Amino acid sequence: MSLHAAMEWLANTEWSIALHESQYAYAVIESIHVWSLCLFVGFAVLLDLRLVGAIFHDVPVSQMARRVLPWTKVGFLVMVVSGIVLFYAIPLRTYHNVFFRIKAVLLILAGLNAFVFHRGIYAKVSHWDLAVPPRPARMAGLWSLVLWAAIIFSGRLIAYNWFDCSKPQPATVTAIAGCTPDMIDPYQ
Amino acid sequence: MFRNLAAAGSLVVGAALMLAFGAGTASAHHAFAAEFDANKPVKFEKAVVKKMEWVNPHVWIHIEVPQPDGTNEQWAIEAGTPNVLFRRGFTKEALLPGTVIVVEGYRSKDGSRRANGRDLTLSDGRTLFLGSSGTGAPTEKP
Repeated sequence: MSLHAAMEWLANTEWSIALHESQYAYAVIESIHVWSLCLFVGFAVLLDLRLVGAIFHDVPVSQMARRVLPWTKVGFLVMVVSGIVLFYAIPLRTYHNVFFRIKAVLLILAGLNAFVFHRGIYAKVSHWDLAVPPRPARMAGLWSLVLWAAIIFSGRLIAYNWFDCSKPQPATVTAIAGCTPDMIDPYQ
Repeated sequence: MFRNLAAAGSLVVGAALMLAFGAGTASAHHAFAAEFDANKPVKFEKAVVKKMEWVNPHVWIHIEVPQPDGTNEQWAIEAGTPNVLFRRGFTKEALLPGTVIVVEGYRSKDGSRRANGRDLTLSDGRTLFLGSSGTGAPTEKP
């Protein structure tokens, strides 16, 4: 079964239908997604800014991380779960959405960035806890700031239909979104 | 380090500005102006409902519009959320296939036969406002 077919099947499951037809649930879950995103990014930005050297110079990086990371983890968990539910509510269109695909790639990059930071330079944080953070740490903070801003933009843009497969699209869009001719609707 | 931060800041601000100018001028924060043209009103006197998609975030009404030459044109009309329509007395079963309606709205900016629905009238004279609130659609008085 292709992923396209899997999404089609998913869209016709009882709970997906209940969600996209719902009177309240969809809006509530959307709000929870935005709220948890604020919580996550809000706290992540604190650590990122500390790493690039913009704020809290006199607070050890390890202490910042210890205090901030539990909140980013809570935000992240709720954000991911609500995001999956939002995807599940409208799976087929979202799967073929250019902005969703860009967002998915950016999320992977953000994950790699965090992974490399924690496994790499942060493992030696005791050497630079109160000093100017070394270049890899500054870059990790900068990348996190940029990636998460881009993720929020692309996430918001999923709602717009400019590049939907239901309309004829340029070759690049067709390639990125995985559009096929049979997805073009009769309204052109 | 501050140079790095300034670079990140200007990237974000630059992206935001590009979006603000690219995504809509009339209504800075909402979807109407991004997808529909307030200067292209459309009205269908005898539209036949093919299907109503009762879905978030927008309900879609698929219609067939008879043409003078005997053919039918297919149009898709966007409406508010299921919640908004429900509050105005509409349900998932309110528009069964075959129902004849009069519907007005604003055509899609991309030139396709899609429109943002404004007013819908049933054959018995009952009317329904289709737009969701806060869209910036010209029908909404501030």
